[in-house]
Amino acid sequence: MLSAGSRFWLRVQGLVSQIFVLLTYYSIAGWMRFRRYRILDRGRVRAEFAALVGDRRGPLLVCANHLTLIDSLIIQWALAPGWRLFVRPDWFFWNLPDKYNMSINLFVRLLGYFGKCVLVRRKGPPEEIRRALDQVAYLLGRGQSMLVFPEGGRSRIGRVDTENFMYGVGRMMQDTPRARVVCVFARGAGQRVYSNYPKAGEAFAVRMKPVTPTTTFKGMRADRDLATQIVHHLRDMEQEYFEHATLGR
Amino acid sequence: MDTATAFSKVLGIIKPFVKNTAVFGEANDSTRIIEDLGVNSARLVDIILAFEDEFGIEVDDESADKVRTLGDAVQMIVQKTATAQ
Repeated sequence: MLSAGSRFWLRVQGLVSQIFVLLTYYSIAGWMRFRRYRILDRGRVRAEFAALVGDRRGPLLVCANHLTLIDSLIIQWALAPGWRLFVRPDWFFWNLPDKYNMSINLFVRLLGYFGKCVLVRRKGPPEEIRRALDQVAYLLGRGQSMLVFPEGGRSRIGRVDTENFMYGVGRMMQDTPRARVVCVFARGAGQRVYSNYPKAGEAFAVRMKPVTPTTTFKGMRADRDLATQIVHHLRDMEQEYFEHATLGR
Repeated sequence: MDTATAFSKVLGIIKPFVKNTAVFGEANDSTRIIEDLGVNSARLVDIILAFEDEFGIEVDDESADKVRTLGDAVQMIVQKTATAQ
């Protein structure tokens, strides 16, 4: 159970992030343009996400594949323009990055704060991971959106890793059963394996699919079952992506 | 179940997940599962679920969180199997 203090500071962070969302968003979008990143068919991607989420408010769990340190920025940029995040705070996703990656300097720490990051030590003690999951449950319970990477880190094999992934997303779904779940597959055309950053000039394909995983298990077994279903959805989306890329040659 | 039998079975269950095989060869009660044996923290859940299947016990989150060493695992299993009987 999250303490009253933790809940308060999360609400403060949400409020501060929302006040500065336009500055944060367009600064990052400007940097991505400087790097000549682009989202393939961005208008269609944004329209698809808008149609998928619609006017309905409420908790949303966005589950994505993970290959670079800035995947969450790319996905947020791909799915909605800054002004949308301003008028629809629930479209401005909370993130769950590794504390180590977000502590390298003051700028990144500030970016993490304004970018609605809940920090977690991926290989930290169970009670710390439990606390992060409690924070996620609290935020989803307040109707917020969360962007998570079910694999738990950048895939070391360059493809969706169906062997080594975390079960935390399964716990999130159990903690907030009313949360809608959307799988998002994003990949740069030139991305071969995992990296810190995509190469300059990268063009990203982004696909999404609403999913409704269910399980008859309970507890940790349910965590594993639900997480497995999500990762398999991402794997299927990846297969479709590569089949499409092959046919397009 | 006695401690020695539980320890032996625990080693059998954990073995496929161990990356640091040198330490595994000299494992004892105080050997830490993640830090010393190099078991991926995500796989700890698989190990706990394997304990449930093997020993016919139920492990809640709180008990699972306390399992840091092989000794912790054995102690938990011995206690839970005793309670189950």
